[in-house]
Amino acid sequence: MLATLGSAGLIVSALGAVLLVTRGVSATRSDTRRDLRGPARLLLAGSIVAMGAMQIGLATDDFSLAYLANHHSTATPFPFDVATAWAALEGSIVLWGLVLAGFTWFAYRRYERSPDRLGSAALAVLGVVNLFFFGLMLTVANPFEVCVQAGASSCLESSPWPFATADAPVNGPGPNPLLQNNIMMAIHPPMLYLGYVGLTVPFAYAFAALAISMPGPEWLRRSHRSTLVAWSFLTLGIVLGGWWAYEVLSWGGYWAWDPVENASLMPWLVATAFLHSGLVQQRRNMLQAWNFVLVISAFSLTILGTFLTRSGTINSVHSFTQSAIGPALLGFLVLVLVASFTLFATRAHVVSTSPRIDSFLSREGSFLANNLLLTIYAFIVLVGTTYPLILEAFTGTQVGVGEPFFNRLAVPLSFLLLLVMGFGPATPWGNPDPSLVWRRVRTPAVVAVLLGLVTALALTRNGWVVLAVTLGALVVGVIAGLAVEQARRRTRKDSRSFGRGLQEVIAADTAFWAGQVSHIGVVLIAVGIAFAANLGTHTEVEMEPGDTVFFAGFELTYESPFQEVTQHKTTRGARLTVLRDGRFVGIIEPSANFFGGNTGVSTPDVISHPRGDLYASLIDLDSESADIAFDTSPLIWLLWLGGGVVAAGGFWSMRARKSERTEASERTTADV
Amino acid sequence: MSERVRNLLSVAVLIVGGLVIAVVVLTAPSDADRVEHLGQIIKCPVCQGESIGDSPADMARDMMGLVEQRVAEGFSDEAIIDELLSSYTGAVLLDPPASGATLLLWLLPGMALLSGAGVIWWWQRNPGEEIAVPTAGQARSGGRMLVGGLILAGSLGLIVVVAGFFLQDRAGPNSGVANLGVENLDEVSNETMEAVIAANINHPQINGMRLALAERYYLAGDYQAAFPHYLSVAESANATDLESVSALVRLGWMAWDGNQATEAALGMFDQALEIAPESTTALYLKGQVLWCGSSDPEAATELFSEILESDELPDDTRRLIEADLAAASQGLACA
Repeated sequence: MLATLGSAGLIVSALGAVLLVTRGVSATRSDTRRDLRGPARLLLAGSIVAMGAMQIGLATDDFSLAYLANHHSTATPFPFDVATAWAALEGSIVLWGLVLAGFTWFAYRRYERSPDRLGSAALAVLGVVNLFFFGLMLTVANPFEVCVQAGASSCLESSPWPFATADAPVNGPGPNPLLQNNIMMAIHPPMLYLGYVGLTVPFAYAFAALAISMPGPEWLRRSHRSTLVAWSFLTLGIVLGGWWAYEVLSWGGYWAWDPVENASLMPWLVATAFLHSGLVQQRRNMLQAWNFVLVISAFSLTILGTFLTRSGTINSVHSFTQSAIGPALLGFLVLVLVASFTLFATRAHVVSTSPRIDSFLSREGSFLANNLLLTIYAFIVLVGTTYPLILEAFTGTQVGVGEPFFNRLAVPLSFLLLLVMGFGPATPWGNPDPSLVWRRVRTPAVVAVLLGLVTALALTRNGWVVLAVTLGALVVGVIAGLAVEQARRRTRKDSRSFGRGLQEVIAADTAFWAGQVSHIGVVLIAVGIAFAANLGTHTEVEMEPGDTVFFAGFELTYESPFQEVTQHKTTRGARLTVLRDGRFVGIIEPSANFFGGNTGVSTPDVISHPRGDLYASLIDLDSESADIAFDTSPLIWLLWLGGGVVAAGGFWSMRARKSERTEASERTTADV
Repeated sequence: MSERVRNLLSVAVLIVGGLVIAVVVLTAPSDADRVEHLGQIIKCPVCQGESIGDSPADMARDMMGLVEQRVAEGFSDEAIIDELLSSYTGAVLLDPPASGATLLLWLLPGMALLSGAGVIWWWQRNPGEEIAVPTAGQARSGGRMLVGGLILAGSLGLIVVVAGFFLQDRAGPNSGVANLGVENLDEVSNETMEAVIAANINHPQINGMRLALAERYYLAGDYQAAFPHYLSVAESANATDLESVSALVRLGWMAWDGNQATEAALGMFDQALEIAPESTTALYLKGQVLWCGSSDPEAATELFSEILESDELPDDTRRLIEADLAAASQGLACA
């Protein structure tokens, strides 16, 4: 029943995608209006039905669906049962399809307001991408296969034919234990997908602009909001992923340069570069070709990322299975690259209208530096991630490329980016007077160096921490200086208050100030990482009940082992009381969770404190003693907060775009 | 304050402040911990992308134990890395060296930076066509296209040549054996090893295989077969410290255990201790030989106590030595 419903949804969506392509192409060719509402509606409705069928199956424990028989269990509690829909390969593509259909629907709504060739061509491109993903679900990664031979608690054989006679197991094994351990796992993938999938929209507009030979920044304007939505959610997805790793995987870290993490970082880096270079094209008509290259790369990297995570090419906690989906995704990636760059190469007259840059000490100059650094950054991550795979595939040689490699290159690059981020906002467009930039940077730079000096003398002699504080202060100082300078200029003319002046300054160019909010978020992240990575401490102790250890100012007493049995898991752990300066801080309970089976998932416990976290994870536990690892991560909460602030800047900027479209004057606060 | 004074003051603060920060930061005492560093750069063989320092897996913890022991015994980082990579299949360096198969990995980012800068420079010289796109159909740029195409083809060719050159010698720090055409020693028979060794008798990196083979003979009790290989490693100028010490310790023990040759055995142990003064195995076996062969329980007692001073001993080793120490210090004959 559900198999039929779900498959029907997929077929309706695929049909919608086909119609969107054919009608979109025909509307573009003949430059006439065609009904694209029907196809867009079919697409969206089908994908909602598919996800609905999946959720009904989860809610009613319908193990006749092979996907549920293999990944769901009656004991899986809310909200993990809902999240089981995207806890494994086939289901996660259903979510992908739903998000893609949603973005396509919004692109259609945009087209409805101003129907033209750019819009219809972009919808046709979106149709092709939709067709690929719904085609995947109907062929190699069918989420609605019927289980025709049940095992003890899994499905041994399944059939894509929805009317096949089902042989359902009584219960399933439930999702991967790691995915049941924290609520973040229910939220993190949808965020990441909103980010990944959203980048399809600017790609579609870029491809459409090239296809209809339409130069100019119109495609950028059309896709700007989708790009911002995608970028903001991608930011949240990445930071939540780090948080999840920190809270669930018990090694005390949040980022390991794991290929799957890298897969999400690469499109983020390129999309960030694109957000900046898009502005340069809109303002100065420069970097046209470059913007096409960036947006094609960003989209390709999302497909590459999906390939890396979903094909089992890389074994890590995120990679679920090996399947025929690998070759399909790789083929699609090659198709995207070849088609895009061939089109790009044959449309030279569209992309090559670029004036010379007047001065490198200008806004466009700093955006250029930002783009160079961000793309090199993405390139390093790409090379580091794929090099071992390619080398092993072709020569059989195994090499490891891990944290030491990435840190050695990415850390200096990150600091360079911070430096450029400090100067950038202080530089006006065009060919500014260098002394103006100097006057804007002077005071913030002096304050930053003094703050760095205080940090070095009073707090820590660790160079990375001092550098992060200094550059962070420069960034924040320049932003504050700009705000004060412009608010003063407004209040000088009449007798308005300073606060009112500041309000007006922000209202006059909200997008710019929203961007600066994101910059401040980046500073928080940089400082948080610098402190947590360099000033953290670590120890491992074997304790018997009653033992007390002193660690990093904490007094930790092992009270007793404990065991908790609930319906769906058994938790065994060690209970410790934590004191600081003789005062009770809390109880910390590092543990291991057992979901059925014998494989325990080590689950750390964290006591958060404004000065930093105390992190405990269980290494070994028996009746006599417990081996426990303790870590401190100073100021690590700045990292989570910063991620939220960066995304908030993105969302705010999106709203700003809308309200300002009416006053389309070419005004920025940085202009004098 | 005039603008000029302000500027001067600011520049002064920036320069002096920057210098003081640089001095304070750069003269900070390094708290680099060798064990921790080594734990970070070696991949845990049974984990997914984790280092042995981060992983809670049993094998990773064993390997960390070995790292601690070797660091305590005074071995160099290179020797410890070599030993780990050769004893654990699947363990690789997470910090790829800028040589051999991974040199290209280090070169690529630099090449990307250079080409990025090159593109910007080119664009500034040729505004209107910001990137070297093939501008087919535009007659006036035919010449440029040709030059661009040649440069593109040239750089691609260069990359291929460079890559080929370095891939040819894809020797990591531990691929001495792999270079001899053998990937995994566990699957190789003794006869094959003998043949490979005979064919590569002067190969600078043959010692790893010799040791592996000798170890098999030794464990099987075939001292006669093991002896020439250990001897060859011990005398080899190309052997790493770790390899020499392992060979010397085995030679010493075989000399005593097989032939009761006390003096020869003690000589071997002393040679080993010259290379690695804190080698637990060498100290312990020397103590055993002094006790049993030279009937000198006092000298043995001294050596056993010396070993026990180390904090890095695994518990069972410690118990064993403590038992021997107790017996020797009471003047009992060796067991």
